[in-house]
Amino acid sequence: MKTEKPLVPQGPLLIAPASRRIVFGWLLLGFLANLLPWPDAWRWLIPDFTLVVMLYWCIHAPHVVQLGLAMLLGLLADITVGSLIGLHGLTYTLAAYAALILRRRLENFELAGRFLHLLPIFLGQQLLTLLLGLAFHEPDVDWRFLAIGMTSAVTWIPVAHLLDRLTGWTPEMRIEPADGNGRSAK
Amino acid sequence: MANAPMFARAMGLPARLALYTLLCLGLMVVGSQFDAMKSFRSLAAGVINPIQAVLAKPFIYLGDMAEFFTVHGELVRENRELSNEQQRLAIQLQNYRLLQAENTQLRKLLHLPLPAGTRPLAAEITHIRPDPFDRRLTIDKGALEGVVAGRPVIDASGLVGQVTLVSPTSSEVSLLTSSEQAAPAMDQRNGLRLIVSGTGSDDLLEIRYLGQHADVRAGDVLVTSGIDGVYPAGIPVARVLRVEPQRQTPFARAVCEPIGEIGRHRHVLVLLEHHKAAK
Repeated sequence: MKTEKPLVPQGPLLIAPASRRIVFGWLLLGFLANLLPWPDAWRWLIPDFTLVVMLYWCIHAPHVVQLGLAMLLGLLADITVGSLIGLHGLTYTLAAYAALILRRRLENFELAGRFLHLLPIFLGQQLLTLLLGLAFHEPDVDWRFLAIGMTSAVTWIPVAHLLDRLTGWTPEMRIEPADGNGRSAK
Repeated sequence: MANAPMFARAMGLPARLALYTLLCLGLMVVGSQFDAMKSFRSLAAGVINPIQAVLAKPFIYLGDMAEFFTVHGELVRENRELSNEQQRLAIQLQNYRLLQAENTQLRKLLHLPLPAGTRPLAAEITHIRPDPFDRRLTIDKGALEGVVAGRPVIDASGLVGQVTLVSPTSSEVSLLTSSEQAAPAMDQRNGLRLIVSGTGSDDLLEIRYLGQHADVRAGDVLVTSGIDGVYPAGIPVARVLRVEPQRQTPFARAVCEPIGEIGRHRHVLVLLEHHKAAK
């Protein structure tokens, strides 16, 4: 028995957008995860949890996480990492901007597809951070830290899966294009 | 949507991006060129560092616990090694005590006053014949060293037995306790002559045909009398334990214990005749 899929999610499928409390709670968790005493020898492999959580909410709660919050989180990261203030602020803002631009497109992809879209964002953010640091005042840079972009992108998969499950978001809930070109009437 | 603004007064996304980018770049320039950010940074560190310390606490505890188990394992291993070592040392100590006892006995043998006309030959017991009927032991001296069958064998405290079989490099000694051995003896207290025989038991001798009224008492020490020409006089043989009158025969029987520590030491002396040594 085939029924037409409604234009917007109905009944139990209709979920409330993530509340501010949940979003900020998860951002705080990500921030604390960054503060954990990771072994120094493996620093260059430890993903940037704050960025991972932030990008997830950029996509799924754009009404909460905007560029301004991204910049604040970046400045916070600058303070904890001890880098030049504004360095992470700038790269976080740019990463959030890229995610916000890609948001509508990303909603149409499964986890793997979203991962492939986000990988260049993570890598680019890390590369830009290193380059800017080098350009401004650091005499030398450890290029192994580029690996953080990779590990962050990989970490994004389980984090996004977990948050999807917790918020009840499924790909079926995405709002199909309303122009009636037949894709929605499958 | 009642409170939605009628006109979009917020900046567009690219505009905000440009603003924040400029802001951050400005901060970076200021931070890199001037020391303006230093005090702010130290203030922020004052907030962040305690949080970081609290977060590190459980991991420090975990590390301590891991260390505890490592140390525990090390201790267990060390304990095992030490107990092995201790066992080894205990065996060594036992050997040492054995050697000490042997040494004491050999010294006693060295200082033994010997009967006249005899020459001692120290011999080591190589093995004891596991014969249930005949008490004999083998010593490592034989005819080549001048041992002759019939010579008495003593140890530091008294008579042990008699050489009964001689081969070039070893000899067999029949013990005094062997049931077919007998030694002429004399009560040290009153000079009464007796014959002490073995019973086949390791620690009992007897005087078989004792007159009913013979003056032998418990505690008397019997020494060899020397009248048979085999045993030199004066070697302690036995101590009387008790005298038993017997119903069936007109003779009494005295039970004695040997004075020589038969079967307890590894070294004995064979008493050789002096003139043989001169040869």
